[in-house]
Amino acid sequence: MTTITVHCLGAFRTLGNSFVVDVDDVSVASIRAAVSSSFVAMERPDLNTVLTRSVFAEGDELLKDHATISGIEVSLLPPVAGG
Amino acid sequence: MDLFARNDGEHYVCGLIDGPCQMEGLGPLVQDAAHGAIAQFFGVVRNHNEGLSAEAVDYDVHPELALKTLDELCQELCTNYPVKLVMIHSRGLVRVGEASVVIAASSAHRKDALDAVSEAIDQLKIRVPIWKKEIGPDDELRWLDGHSLRKD
Repeated sequence: MTTITVHCLGAFRTLGNSFVVDVDDVSVASIRAAVSSSFVAMERPDLNTVLTRSVFAEGDELLKDHATISGIEVSLLPPVAGG
Repeated sequence: MDLFARNDGEHYVCGLIDGPCQMEGLGPLVQDAAHGAIAQFFGVVRNHNEGLSAEAVDYDVHPELALKTLDELCQELCTNYPVKLVMIHSRGLVRVGEASVVIAASSAHRKDALDAVSEAIDQLKIRVPIWKKEIGPDDELRWLDGHSLRKD
């Protein structure tokens, strides 16, 4: 089991600046599933709608779900809205 | 006021700035004796959105990824158009009437500068990891929806 720190951006900041999830493997797909479960546990299942349209990043790299991370921290990026 | 900037030393400068962007002084940054046109775009916070009043927007940014994406975008634009380019976006609080993004491009003839600026703002809005939290008159907060970066 690995503990991953998830840094919140945009609408996810309503949860705070970060939270942690435990995963059996460090694939992005596993982290996404753990984050989804955490939203339910945090009584914020509404955020799962945003999660399906969100991406994870490690450092300055966007990650696809089949990727694995090399560290223990990721950022969670909801749909962007600059300008 | 902090500015985090990148440039290629010749064709472009891009960056993030804490607070509102300056709307003056952009032209000289892209001025070139061989260029007969300078086009500018200012994205300004307005006092309404989707039927609701707004007083300000608080911009959240992933700085590393935003700078990397701005840098990639400028490289693409300077490859596709013969322009000199500057593109700056705000981070943090920007009030109604203040600029949250400023873009300027110069080129030998006007079409390239105008097209580059138009494409720059279009691409920025769908690619750069920046988020808007709108602040209403009674300090109510609204995170605005946007464009998904997910590719899978």
